Amino acid sequence: MKQYLLSRIGQALLVLWGAYTITYFILYLLPGDPLTIMLTASGVEVDSLSPAQLAQARAAYGLDKGVLEQYFSLLANFLHGDFGQSLVRGEAVSTLIAARLPSTLSLAGLAVLLSVVIGVGFAYVASLVRWRPLRTVLNRLPSLGFSVPGFWIGLLFIQLFAFTLGWLPSTGDEGFESLILPAVTLAIPSSAVYAQILIRSFGDVWKEPYMVTALAKGLTRGQAQARHGFRNAALPVLTLVGLQVGNTVSGAVLVETVFSRTGIGQLAQESVLRQDIPVVLAIVALSAAAFVVVNLIVDLLYPALDPRITHRPKVT
Amino acid sequence: MRKAIRAFHVPMSAVLTSVAALLLLSCSKQPEADNGTLKVAFGKDNTAFVSLDPFQVWWIEHRIVLRNVAESLTDQDPATGAIIPWLAKSWEISPDGLEYTFTLRDDVTFSNGSKFDASAVKTAFDADKALVEKLPTVFGATYLSGYDHADILDDHRIRLVLARPNGGFLQATSTTNLAILAPESYARSPEERSRGAIIGTGPFTLERYTPEVGLTLVKRKGYGWPSRVVKNPGEAKVERIEVSYIAEDTVRNGKFLQGSVDIIWPRAPFPDADLNLLKQGGATIESRSLPGPSLNLFPNTRNGRTLSDPVVRQAVQKAIDRPSYARTVYNPDFPVVEGPFDKTTPYFRSQKAKLVYDPAGAERLLDGAGWKKGTDGFRSKDGKRLVLRINSQTDTPGNVLLQDQLRKVGIDVQIVVLVPGEYAAAIKAGKYDLTGSYMTRGDPVILQTILDPRYSRGSALATNAFTPDLLKKAQHLFDAGLITSDPAKRAEAYGALQDLLIDQSIAFPVYERIWQAALSKNVKGFAWTAEGFASFNDLEIKR
Amino acid sequence: MTILAPISTGSADRQALFLGSAALDLTAIAGAGRPSSGWTLAGRVRDALNPLLRRPGFAIALSFLLLVLVAALAPGLLTGVAPYATSPADKLLSPSAAHWFGTDELGRDLYSRMVHGSALSVKAALLAVGIALVSGLSLGVLSGFIGGRVDAVVMRFVDVLLALPGLLLALAIVTAIGFGTIPVAIAVGIGIVPGFARTTRAEVLRVKTLPYVEAARLGGASWTRTLLRHVLPNSWGPVAVLATLDIGAAIIATAGLSFLGFGAAPPAAEWGTLISNGRNFLMTAPWLSLVPGLFVMLVVFSLNHVARTLDEGR
Repeated sequence: MKQYLLSRIGQALLVLWGAYTITYFILYLLPGDPLTIMLTASGVEVDSLSPAQLAQARAAYGLDKGVLEQYFSLLANFLHGDFGQSLVRGEAVSTLIAARLPSTLSLAGLAVLLSVVIGVGFAYVASLVRWRPLRTVLNRLPSLGFSVPGFWIGLLFIQLFAFTLGWLPSTGDEGFESLILPAVTLAIPSSAVYAQILIRSFGDVWKEPYMVTALAKGLTRGQAQARHGFRNAALPVLTLVGLQVGNTVSGAVLVETVFSRTGIGQLAQESVLRQDIPVVLAIVALSAAAFVVVNLIVDLLYPALDPRITHRPKVT
Repeated sequence: MRKAIRAFHVPMSAVLTSVAALLLLSCSKQPEADNGTLKVAFGKDNTAFVSLDPFQVWWIEHRIVLRNVAESLTDQDPATGAIIPWLAKSWEISPDGLEYTFTLRDDVTFSNGSKFDASAVKTAFDADKALVEKLPTVFGATYLSGYDHADILDDHRIRLVLARPNGGFLQATSTTNLAILAPESYARSPEERSRGAIIGTGPFTLERYTPEVGLTLVKRKGYGWPSRVVKNPGEAKVERIEVSYIAEDTVRNGKFLQGSVDIIWPRAPFPDADLNLLKQGGATIESRSLPGPSLNLFPNTRNGRTLSDPVVRQAVQKAIDRPSYARTVYNPDFPVVEGPFDKTTPYFRSQKAKLVYDPAGAERLLDGAGWKKGTDGFRSKDGKRLVLRINSQTDTPGNVLLQDQLRKVGIDVQIVVLVPGEYAAAIKAGKYDLTGSYMTRGDPVILQTILDPRYSRGSALATNAFTPDLLKKAQHLFDAGLITSDPAKRAEAYGALQDLLIDQSIAFPVYERIWQAALSKNVKGFAWTAEGFASFNDLEIKR
Repeated sequence: MTILAPISTGSADRQALFLGSAALDLTAIAGAGRPSSGWTLAGRVRDALNPLLRRPGFAIALSFLLLVLVAALAPGLLTGVAPYATSPADKLLSPSAAHWFGTDELGRDLYSRMVHGSALSVKAALLAVGIALVSGLSLGVLSGFIGGRVDAVVMRFVDVLLALPGLLLALAIVTAIGFGTIPVAIAVGIGIVPGFARTTRAEVLRVKTLPYVEAARLGGASWTRTLLRHVLPNSWGPVAVLATLDIGAAIIATAGLSFLGFGAAPPAAEWGTLISNGRNFLMTAPWLSLVPGLFVMLVVFSLNHVARTLDEGR
């Protein structure tokens, strides 16, 4: 077990390093020169500066080193927990991220919760239905959930629930109410995925002989499905929650833009456009880390969920 | 089996608890309804350069806010463009235009309690100058252009001495860019000022600024020294002003119609569909054209590009249907642009007669110059297609309409959308035929920061706009307007400059830069400043 | 978008979860334990389609997709109206007999713009899936077939791609190579590579151990021949289903990037650009965003339906 844990942590670190490196080189190979962009951002065009002024500015932003040298110095700082300064915003990257993390975390947290509840609930109900036409419709319904662009659904929700019905605030970061619409928007595609995979999982359970026994013992269909179906479903759901981390960051970019929330997603989008390399790197590293950690935890939870699974040394 | 079920419950309940905890965390305080609080929503905040420092900031939404926090030596009358007293009661300008002697009010204090006097003014100007030396490209540099030093004559008299004439200097002293902050603010770093360490003499103080979220202004107790164009001589009538930044148009409009914001003030004017909707909702629309250049496209006339040919430039000028543009992109009442400057700019001279839509004339010019129409409707000459590349940072309906207008005379316009970094690089490399640019300032001297390579910070655009001989003529006129503060001479110089820009088709005016704010019916007392900002001192809210 | 991978393919085999990857290998869960269907690339498609076509849902979905394909290949067949011609006098007209889907803020016919936009959207989606298919397939085959160190390296690389948030990666790539339909398609395609690599690898691992493959090997067939003749054709099924699903995912992802402003060069417009441009008129001219939005929903839903029906039919 200990050996397994160590090797998994090693793998996780490797993945993190890979994610960091790939992102760094993509950003570095962007066509624009970060210096040009930063000076333009402050209302300046670079060609109005003398070479000496340019060199001065370049050194001031730490852009005078070579690609590799910059890469290693950034990486070294990263390992020491120093994410550097935002090139555009003139603030420490860690401050920027810390200011925005709570907003995104509560959004993502609620979205994950909602998607599990909606997805599992829907699948449970859909699997209990025995009337064939309705069942077919319910089985197909989840794929509608990931057939719509999220930003569009978000805008429709705002029109409907905020402006027409007036039930919920349309934008902002204040209070639980303002969290509901964006979280539901973010939860829709994931819950559709959960529902779809669970409907199948529940369906498989009904093919098992022990279900006949369960019904014979006097359980209702609902009880039998709850008892055996959920057990079967726990693993895929947990697995999907792990994978959802990456999608949530992607979804947050769009949802935060639509709902005028200032979270990590919006910061990421802005920073990519401005080529604010330190900020983008930190966000990518952070989300990759979240992804890796959550999946590691999920992985370690498996034996607790299903005693048949043990973390043996690999046999492949 | 039971064991497995219980095991399932453990992590699930852990997840539930932690999410519940997260939700509680996010359930912070709800804003309470306050009759003295006015809510304003702008478009997206400036993410390119986060700064509230008056001297560094060009972002016009920030300049509105700053106008109400920090004040200037002089003010500009929005009706006439004349410079009038504000923190300075009076002033004299030496005949050579190099020495400006201001007599200051003696009843003014900064919001931190320190006195407004000659030494504070000197601190402000010297700090601005120091910043220019450190960062030559800072936005306020052109306003301060020529400033050398300040002599304190007594507590309330100060002489600002220029090293070279600057015809726009007096107007510059009326702008937010040369607003006077408390010495305490200048003791801080420019970065700290950018993030909101702004202490002024204005009717409001800045309580908080959270970039991209919003800011809060609080009424300054005991305020009482506005310029004479402000009706309310005393404290502001609202207690607080909450500003928020909302990127999506529909969301901003929806919040306004719902009553959760009192003023919406996006960067672009309202299209007529929105305008009707807002008016139905009881809104009052306030409009003012922003002083400075109108929205022009400037050509690239260098390196043998298509627009180096004056005939093609002229054809383009004739092929733009400005009335249709104003009507379609904005609304039927939208004013049609009449020249390279907006009408509110001092020394504006209308070029209306030369900017008539004349597609037949354009076609004649192009035919005459040897550009023949092909079967696909586009023109070419010697195997070269008549293509014009417009660089842009966003996909706008306006550009697409323009593209279609020019298509009708056989010009193939290609709109190239670029991210900010690439956009700058493409302009620098001269990879464009037309590109837009604008600045806002209540003096025509601002055009030099766009079109005069000696002053412009975007010199590629400035250099490329003129052929070498035209550049000489234009610079002669720029200088004539700059070296004198005599209004008649300036009017003559800038008038001739406007003629030149249109006669030679160096500027292609597209639309008048109207700024519009929608006010809910609860809001009274909105007043524009000369530069198209607003003075919040007269604002009232009745719920 | 990679999360869509497992949906199509069946129940869980938990042991497969631990085949040595940092992130969980859902496709492996999905792939193993299913009876081998003997699906070959060219041969049985027609036979398989015949009974399916008798299902009304499948037939409707397929005909709708074919219609979209016609729009993409020959827009002139479906509309005679020029998609880019502005007509200020007719701006923001609601849907009518003359303008089926209404007109936009410059008076352009939305129906015609949708039809002409199909070419770009379909091209982008196919290109994205094509890229993902080719690179994912090669990575998966390499990994699953050679095994050992190569497998470890390739799968770590796939893990890295999986750990990078898809849209961020796409944003960075689009910023690096420029705006427009093709860069967006490439960016989206790279984002869905991991799903293909994993599915292919799982399938190859499964097929590799099938008795007749071992028999072929023992019979003296070269590795290349075994790979081409036996392994690849038999691994194709789940990959094809995944490809169908991912065309839909690519359409949604492209729409998202268009919303953020990375769409086709104006005046051309993909469906995503149309939805996105129409959003400013949600209150005043809702059809501008609703019609293209519903249309995209129908296309993606049809693709999902077709993919699932194919999957269930196996």
